[in-house]
Amino acid sequence: MLRTLLLLVLVLPVAGAVLAGLLRPAAIRAAAVAASFLAACLAGWAVAAVHPGSYEVHLGSLPWLPGGGGQGIFGFLLDPLASVLLLVATGIGFLTVLFSTQYLTEKNRDHAVAAGSQGRYYFWLLTFLASMVGLATAPNFLQFFLFWELTTLCSWALISFYRSEESLRAGFKAMLLTHSGGVFFLLALLVLFTSTGSFGFDALARLDPGPRGWVFFFLMVAAWAKAAQVPFHTWLPDAMAAPTPVSAYLHAASMVKAGVFLMARAVAGVWDVPAPWGAVLAVMALVTMLVALSFYFVQDDLKRLLAYSTIAHLGYVLLGVALGALGSEVGFRGGVLHILCHGFGKATLFLSVGAVAYVTGTRSIRSLGGVARSMPLTAAAFFVGLLAVTGIPPFAGFWSKFMILAGALQLPAPLGPAILVLVLGESLVAFGWMLHVGQKVFFGLRTPAAQVNSDPPPAMSGALLVLMAGCLLAPLLGIPLVRLLGG
Amino acid sequence: MSTVVLLLSAAATLLVGAVLSLAVAHRRHGAGWVAVAAMGGAAVLAWVVVLRTFSAGPDPAVTLLGVPGLGAGLTLAVDGLSAVFLAIAATIGVLTTLFAVEYLDRYPSDSVAKYYPLLLLLFVGIVGVVSTQDLFFFLVFWELMTVTSYFLVVFEGESRAAHQAGLKYFVMNQAATLGMVAAALVLWREGGSFHFETLRPALERLLVREPWLGHGVLLLFFVGFATKAGILPMGAWLPHAYPAAPTSATAAFAGAMSKLGIYGLVRVFLTLVPVSSAMTAWGWVIALAGTASLFVGTLTALKQDDAKRLMSFHVVGQVGYMFLGVGVGLVLLPSNPWLGSLAVSAGIFHLLNNALYKTALFLGAGAVHTRTGTRSLNAMGGLGPLMPWTAGAALVGSLAIAGVPPLNGFASKWLLYATGILGGRGSPLLVILVLVAMFISLVTLASFLKYYGSAFLGPPAENRASGGGADGPPGGRPAPAPSRGRPPMGDVGPLLLLPQGVLTAGCVLVGLFPWVPLGAIQEGVVGVLAQVDPYGAAGGIPPESLGSHPALGLALGEAGLALWAPLPAALALGLFALLVYFGLQRAAGAEVRQVPVWVCGEEEDPAALRYGSGSFYLPFKHAFRGVYPTVRVQPPPFPSPLRRALNPDRWLYLPLAGWVVRVSRAVARTHVGVPQVYLLWIVLGAAAVVAVVLLSFG
Repeated sequence: MLRTLLLLVLVLPVAGAVLAGLLRPAAIRAAAVAASFLAACLAGWAVAAVHPGSYEVHLGSLPWLPGGGGQGIFGFLLDPLASVLLLVATGIGFLTVLFSTQYLTEKNRDHAVAAGSQGRYYFWLLTFLASMVGLATAPNFLQFFLFWELTTLCSWALISFYRSEESLRAGFKAMLLTHSGGVFFLLALLVLFTSTGSFGFDALARLDPGPRGWVFFFLMVAAWAKAAQVPFHTWLPDAMAAPTPVSAYLHAASMVKAGVFLMARAVAGVWDVPAPWGAVLAVMALVTMLVALSFYFVQDDLKRLLAYSTIAHLGYVLLGVALGALGSEVGFRGGVLHILCHGFGKATLFLSVGAVAYVTGTRSIRSLGGVARSMPLTAAAFFVGLLAVTGIPPFAGFWSKFMILAGALQLPAPLGPAILVLVLGESLVAFGWMLHVGQKVFFGLRTPAAQVNSDPPPAMSGALLVLMAGCLLAPLLGIPLVRLLGG
Repeated sequence: MSTVVLLLSAAATLLVGAVLSLAVAHRRHGAGWVAVAAMGGAAVLAWVVVLRTFSAGPDPAVTLLGVPGLGAGLTLAVDGLSAVFLAIAATIGVLTTLFAVEYLDRYPSDSVAKYYPLLLLLFVGIVGVVSTQDLFFFLVFWELMTVTSYFLVVFEGESRAAHQAGLKYFVMNQAATLGMVAAALVLWREGGSFHFETLRPALERLLVREPWLGHGVLLLFFVGFATKAGILPMGAWLPHAYPAAPTSATAAFAGAMSKLGIYGLVRVFLTLVPVSSAMTAWGWVIALAGTASLFVGTLTALKQDDAKRLMSFHVVGQVGYMFLGVGVGLVLLPSNPWLGSLAVSAGIFHLLNNALYKTALFLGAGAVHTRTGTRSLNAMGGLGPLMPWTAGAALVGSLAIAGVPPLNGFASKWLLYATGILGGRGSPLLVILVLVAMFISLVTLASFLKYYGSAFLGPPAENRASGGGADGPPGGRPAPAPSRGRPPMGDVGPLLLLPQGVLTAGCVLVGLFPWVPLGAIQEGVVGVLAQVDPYGAAGGIPPESLGSHPALGLALGEAGLALWAPLPAALALGLFALLVYFGLQRAAGAEVRQVPVWVCGEEEDPAALRYGSGSFYLPFKHAFRGVYPTVRVQPPPFPSPLRRALNPDRWLYLPLAGWVVRVSRAVARTHVGVPQVYLLWIVLGAAAVVAVVLLSFG
């Protein structure tokens, strides 16, 4: 039964994508919402059914490629780690589709979208959802890689959706940078396969420490590119040329999370990463956090600000994973939990900014003010998302950040305390600035741009409400899952 | 029902109230009454817990919710110390919510949906903070308080000043909390759990093995609690945030929320710090910080002309007294446990009294604000006959905060001074600190004479152009038109008076019967100390009595004796006052005339000659000009070379993209559109493949 469930979770979005190419615009929306909703429900069901164990099935192999050790090439692996990403990808995926149904219309004051181009949008969005499912449940590195590249392709198409000069450039940039990371992934696969004859996650452990370090490094480069880490991070702020729901989903909740998920998989596959590489991962994560932070203060576009915040928070996740590589289980769990918590928080932030843009037609911090008066729900969503992302209890981000900090303190000095101090400093400054921006945009006297009437239409408001609840409840979902992680 | 069930029901009542008041927020008063009902229900439950705790002793702790892998669990228990704070918070919560129902009509353009639900959640946080035994959840509830109170500070949607104050408040408190998170994590690494019981040995080991780290942890806790309580300089947010919030919320902050800074301080330093030189050292730090804060805060308050700002600086000053009490107690505990515990009790007793009179004073200022539309003392005057009840409450509150016997402020200050002086035989510095506190008591009196005098006495300010800088909320909301500049039409309604009345009555009653609350507080403090060694091992602190009722007395062997009997003193003072009044009237025999004001034989405009609040204490203001320095922090400029260096587009992406484009161009050059050329490519390709195959396998 589980096999059918997981197959359905993978196939339903694909079916939706195909339908999106065939149906009329109104029907497309219904089909997309139905497909993503069913996928999310079934994914939840599958996770609940598997919990607290793990489930693996192999469905196919390539005849000319000996699937080392009798493993298939295509299949599903649903363990706690995969569950976390699967829930984020399908759950937030559904909410994004729901939000899109009213965002991508002619009523959008930021970017009116003609009904004719909706088929293209939902085709790529649902294909992306399916490829995230395939990636999250991949039982080996090869399937992981294939779906990884598929997400890159969908990301390119979705970033360039508006087909303006800016968005075409941004799409190309994202494609080129993430794909050049993908080349390193391929390199890692080649080394792995030629040395062990297998693509399995556990094959990493069978490598000698020397090659293992290099494979780990290659995967790390791939993850940095995908997760927009220094020095590859510049594609993400430019990718804000995408429609806002796409930014919320791909560039906050799922695609960039694929990068950090790869590192989590690699670390969970061995639990014995050569310590210098773990330290490199941790230090680069810290560098990324601080570099991203330094760009907060010069942003005027709300979405670009959120993009830099996303870069910093992917740094948090990688930091947690690096702590796991250095021997702290709590830190690793915190990092994985942050995938979920940050996913909900940042999606809430992006979608509330989307709602503001939809109603007012601008995302410029300078020209917005007093929005809360006319859009109370959107304002509430923004602040809930802000508190969740910056880690203010009792919201989601606090729990994962706290676990990462606890993990950091388990490391010996000077790395552990240094991480603690830097992370706390980053948290405070980032929080202060985000709060300042939130106040500027939502409080105070209404600027001319903000002379609008009301909150966005029900589908968008509904998605915001669910996400707000998620910002509070995500730890309840995530902690039972991540507690099962460990070497 | 057990304590935990009661606490959970109280929290559930508050949560349900929050949801309901959000649902009915379109009806302003309806939402208010829902909030009052929820707060009232929760307060009754909390009081049941308090009474049970004092009558039957604390229930055993119950752990409800564990966080796996972290060693944290929501452990709930209420001991005597928690019960005191629970009682204060419950009472203040109900009264300030009651006040808010009508008071919030002042803000017609701000929905009460951003007030009542958050206020109720704030009290969930307060209940959680005082009743959890686990540092992790303590911090969670602590932050819940900060978050909700931040939104109350920025309640007024269009006031820029409120937003700046809120930002300052939230960021400073967040910084303090992050410090406490770090401290908690250090202790967790040492002890493996966040439960208070395991933290004590962990801290003890740390202080022995790595004293710097141990004292660093204590410093972070000290800073964290001092920030919330409003001790300067960490409390620099307070004089901005308190005036910015609606007065009903300010009163709740002053009466309940900020007081938890003291709770945390007492809880951590009494139960976690080993009885050793470390305790004495931190006692000195706390006492000195308290004295500095009461000195600077109160002297700065003297200069204020905005009623709420004046009181906010007094919050800073008053909290200094509490820190002084706790600090003196910590200094004395290792050498003289009984006197030490009494000094801590004196600090907490002052906190209780402060909650009563400071809340009453804030509410009074709010009532005046609703009637006059201004908070500027310069623009007020002569309100006494027009608002007799408010004036009466303000008078009692002013005298209580200044420590005039027989009101409650005197009782706690007396105990504080007595313990300080009795314990100061060995260390004269204690006596000096007490003398400073006594001097500041006078300044407090002066400051509140100014408040009372300029607001309620004298001729009405009807003719004055009410154009003070602090006129109305600084954000510039125009005050309701009918009341501006005109004398108020009468006292405020009973809904605004009742909370003031209750609190004022509390001030008088506690002043006359101080041993009732003091006994409970002392029981709580001694109960906490009995949990820890060496007092626990010695069977607790010897229960020497506070003297026989109806008086408080401290006898310390040959050290000395102090005695305060409020009832006889009140009687004597009352008789004296009557005597003076009638004596003066009789002896002078002068008749009272009502004539226009004249100067040098000429009649002048009374408004021009009015002794406004700005005219008070000019020499003082001059002498203590620099006592409260104002610092402006400029953000450092972001150097543009660094920004360029941080832009990897220049050295990574653009070269890469350029290379890709060049390669594509090169490939495109082969694309000539002539079929023969394509055929040639195919043939060449096939030949290459055949060559590779032959070379590999041939």
